[in-house]
Amino acid sequence: MRTPVKKLAIAVSTSIALLGAGQAAAEIQVGIAGPMTGPVAQYGDMQFSGARMAIEQINANGGVNGEKLVGVEYDDVCDPKQAVTVANSLVNDGVRFVVGHLCSSSTQPASDIYEDEGILMVTPASTSPEITERGYELVFRTIGLDSMQGPVAGNYIASLNPERVAIVHDKQQYGEGIATAVRDTLKGQGVEIAMFEGITAGDKDFSSLITKLKQADVDYVYYGGYHPELGLILRQARQADLDATFMGPEGVGNKDINTIAGEAAEGLLVTLPPSFDQKAENQKLVAAFESKGEDPSGPFVLTSYAAVQLIAEGIEKADSTDPFDVAEALRSNSFETPIGTVEYDKAGDMKSFEFVVYEWHSDGSKTPVK
Amino acid sequence: MQDLLYFSQQLINGLTIGSAYALIAIGYTMVYGIIGMINFAHGEIYMIGAYTALLAITGLATLGVTWLPLILLIALICAMIVSSSMGWAVERVAYRPVRGRHRLIPLISAIGMSIFLQNYVHLAQGSRNIGFPALIEGGFQFGSSGAFQMSLSYMQITIFITTLICMTLLSLFISRSRTGRACRAVSQDIGMANLLGIDTNRIISATFVIGAALAAVAGLLLGMYYGSIDPLFGFIAGLKAFTAAVLGGIGSIPGAMLGGLILGVSESMTSGYLSGEYKDVVSFGLLILILLFKPTGLLGKPEVEKI
Amino acid sequence: MAANNLKHALFCAVVTLVIAYPILGLNLEAQGINVTLEGADASTVISVLAAAVVVFLFQLFRDNILSVLKSVPSPLPKSQKEPMAENKRARIESWVLTGIVILALFWPFFVSRGAVDLATLVLIYIMLALGLNVVVGLAGLLDLGYVAFYAVGAYTFALLSQYAGVSFWVALPIGACLAALFGFTLGFPVLRLRGDYLAIVTLGFGEIIRILLNNWTSLTGGPNGVGGIPDPTLFGMEFGRRVKEEGNVSFHETFGIAYSGEHKVIFLYLIALVLAVFTALVIRRFMRMPVGRSWEALREDEIAARSLGMSRTAVKLSAFTIGAFFAGFAGTVFASKQGFISPESFVFLESAIILAIVVLGGMGSQIGVVLAAIAVTILPELAREFSEYRMLIFGAAMVLMMIWRPQGLMPVRRIHIELSKQE
Repeated sequence: MRTPVKKLAIAVSTSIALLGAGQAAAEIQVGIAGPMTGPVAQYGDMQFSGARMAIEQINANGGVNGEKLVGVEYDDVCDPKQAVTVANSLVNDGVRFVVGHLCSSSTQPASDIYEDEGILMVTPASTSPEITERGYELVFRTIGLDSMQGPVAGNYIASLNPERVAIVHDKQQYGEGIATAVRDTLKGQGVEIAMFEGITAGDKDFSSLITKLKQADVDYVYYGGYHPELGLILRQARQADLDATFMGPEGVGNKDINTIAGEAAEGLLVTLPPSFDQKAENQKLVAAFESKGEDPSGPFVLTSYAAVQLIAEGIEKADSTDPFDVAEALRSNSFETPIGTVEYDKAGDMKSFEFVVYEWHSDGSKTPVK
Repeated sequence: MQDLLYFSQQLINGLTIGSAYALIAIGYTMVYGIIGMINFAHGEIYMIGAYTALLAITGLATLGVTWLPLILLIALICAMIVSSSMGWAVERVAYRPVRGRHRLIPLISAIGMSIFLQNYVHLAQGSRNIGFPALIEGGFQFGSSGAFQMSLSYMQITIFITTLICMTLLSLFISRSRTGRACRAVSQDIGMANLLGIDTNRIISATFVIGAALAAVAGLLLGMYYGSIDPLFGFIAGLKAFTAAVLGGIGSIPGAMLGGLILGVSESMTSGYLSGEYKDVVSFGLLILILLFKPTGLLGKPEVEKI
Repeated sequence: MAANNLKHALFCAVVTLVIAYPILGLNLEAQGINVTLEGADASTVISVLAAAVVVFLFQLFRDNILSVLKSVPSPLPKSQKEPMAENKRARIESWVLTGIVILALFWPFFVSRGAVDLATLVLIYIMLALGLNVVVGLAGLLDLGYVAFYAVGAYTFALLSQYAGVSFWVALPIGACLAALFGFTLGFPVLRLRGDYLAIVTLGFGEIIRILLNNWTSLTGGPNGVGGIPDPTLFGMEFGRRVKEEGNVSFHETFGIAYSGEHKVIFLYLIALVLAVFTALVIRRFMRMPVGRSWEALREDEIAARSLGMSRTAVKLSAFTIGAFFAGFAGTVFASKQGFISPESFVFLESAIILAIVVLGGMGSQIGVVLAAIAVTILPELAREFSEYRMLIFGAAMVLMMIWRPQGLMPVRRIHIELSKQE
């Protein structure tokens, strides 16, 4: 019994020493918090690669007011519980600016801590409207909201004069939020909603759902959620000869959907932020990513890049590293970033953020439909 | 008319899933019948079977093999070999040393094994969903009414037929072969069988191997039917299959088949007429009710508590 | 015999290769839209081969190795030594526990915020494990759905605060009692089931609770969870930068000190510490009371215990209810620490982790459970790379514990001592 106790004592004290190691801030630390592991780690990869690139380029251009940016990376596995732990260790490490988190369900509890502790947060990916609805001063994002994306999808479906539309969602904050927005838009346009139903994320058998869709005789199905489930629905729908067009939010616009759905992914409609990597003014940046062997076309790469850039320029404009001053600077200025001109409203949302409807192809490529 | 067709279509969906559940349930029911323990790690063995099958199919595609029956056969054999070895090894490492101890000890060992195997595959193959190629496509269309058309895909037919073949072979094996006879003897009275010169260790190993091989068949079939696999999908399927085994009467092979079908149909009817969100509630609720009111299941024999 | 051994050893080595090589040595990689097969790097392949060789050699010389192992004196010479008298052991244990508690009281003022936050989580796990220890360790009822009661406690507080503005201190007893009520209601029908059936039914119950929380969106917010759960207050003083509730004052203003986020974290930690100590003390009391003895009696030999006139249902039910009560306690603290809860925090894996703590700690002494809770929570934080392997190691450890030291779970020590005394 004695030795394990001793070992544990050592383990505990080491952990305390590790956790207690504060850092002398000669540089400006920028925390990057997102999933490095876990089921949505591929979205986290986009976030990290974008943010790292921005830090590298800003430092190469002389840093911010002469000080270097230092990226400090944290893994929250997209788990709300880990996100709180990560937020606390950020506070502990003396980080005052964060790019993150990715999943709305992680961003929300973490932002409570950031707001309390005076840490400025810019999320490059969380689209839930609730995050900026709480009157927080230090919460910003470089992505649109579910409530902006939903109407784009809804209006597009309505413009195709559908007879009956089914809306399916995965009951998660993200999926159900968008699905509700789509439903409201369609209702406003007088389109008949044949079905509004939730599925369980992680489920594999959708044959019953598809039979239901067949019976409802729908010609459009909107799915709010992520790619693993939609991929299976597409494929099983094809097996069961369901003749309908599917549409989803940017959470399904990932090449992984092709490995699951195969041929069935052809013709899927996806609302995505415009492909920033296709813009002419971003070509130098795209080349920089490609020279590092990284892919800048993911939906969250350049939004993360922009998040770091906004923090850096905010610090320059405010001429202060106090997060409250930087927040003020972000609200009162406009910024040129790879995702376009960014201006913030009082809540911390961008005044305009565009979503475009793309048609997805079975080889993983996409073409804009409008 | 359309309602009837809709009902039949949901019935077909349910029977498809149910017969795959039955294949997995065999592993639970045989092991429980012989050594009276719940092999919690069985769902993971099914998942490993699915992964091996996908590895084999991908490997064959790289090699340029295109003849479908050959691909399926090789994938099936690979999956069965790896799963059976896994089943054998799991029994050897985690269950045999604790056999005969208090009931909870093997169960906790099994839960540990289940967690271990899940993370073993998770670490080796990553946690993302991997697409499983649809090798058997197409199907029959019939009985249309209004806009609704019933369909029966070749994949569904394959699942029915394979399950039927496996079940027939297994029943023949249990009733006719020497090992099968020994299996029955061991499940009736392990001590007595031992006295009569049956190598009980061997028979118990054989049970695990057979159960694992059938789970591997289910892994290949359901992998193709669903379309993607991930390291966690064995756990829930294992629970469902266990429910099926309990429903039919644990220890009884026809019971596993019956239980699987009932469970599959009740799941698909729940999704079809209520909502897909509640299908797991229905299957777990069914499990709890059966255990509370008829712990012997539909076809099981009552267990006498010996003092 | 040797030939037999060789054959068996070869077979085992081949099986090792078969189960390890395909999964470890071949990787499915998504290349664009296709899945391709890639061989793992050489080191993986070599280690798979090495594992097969080790298995081969071990099986080949199995008899020799085992006999050598047997002749070596056991590293844990407990079995030979005269066991300590129970009262002496208990006294030492309570001294050690008191020491730990005193240390824990002053410790947070010297360390960083992250460490205190982590320690709060450890304390929550300690409460959970102590509670589950009653059910699994003492009463011998394998409860795989323990996390359901934890969820009941957490959601009770979250929902009460959202809909009725109830504060932490009011919600704490309500949450615990409601969890206990759930335990009682569930326990009533299921406790007559045999051990392993009980495990499965509780597992099913835990999943049903989670699915209901997930689907009952109008009440629980579904997967979005419930947010904005208030922090505990100290006599009406809030620890936030700004006062959220009317009528409250803020801690730092009352005492005229500068605002620091650490106050809140330390306060939460101290609450968790007090509650964990309370849990430990109450359960210690119970263990000495007749009801505690009857838990163990029923676990050891149900038939004998019943023939001595014990009510099986009453005894089991009391253990189940008390276990659930403390899970509710822990749940309330968890909700208040997180400020946000969702069904994701109450999955089966959580039950498995708590069970792993109880199993690894071995029961008998509460110290074991406390140490295991510390180890299981802190080790993954110590080395982030390790955290990936955390569950793998837990699983393996559970199996190994059952093989080598199941007495952690099924202690017979106390009874041995009592018998030898009387002789």
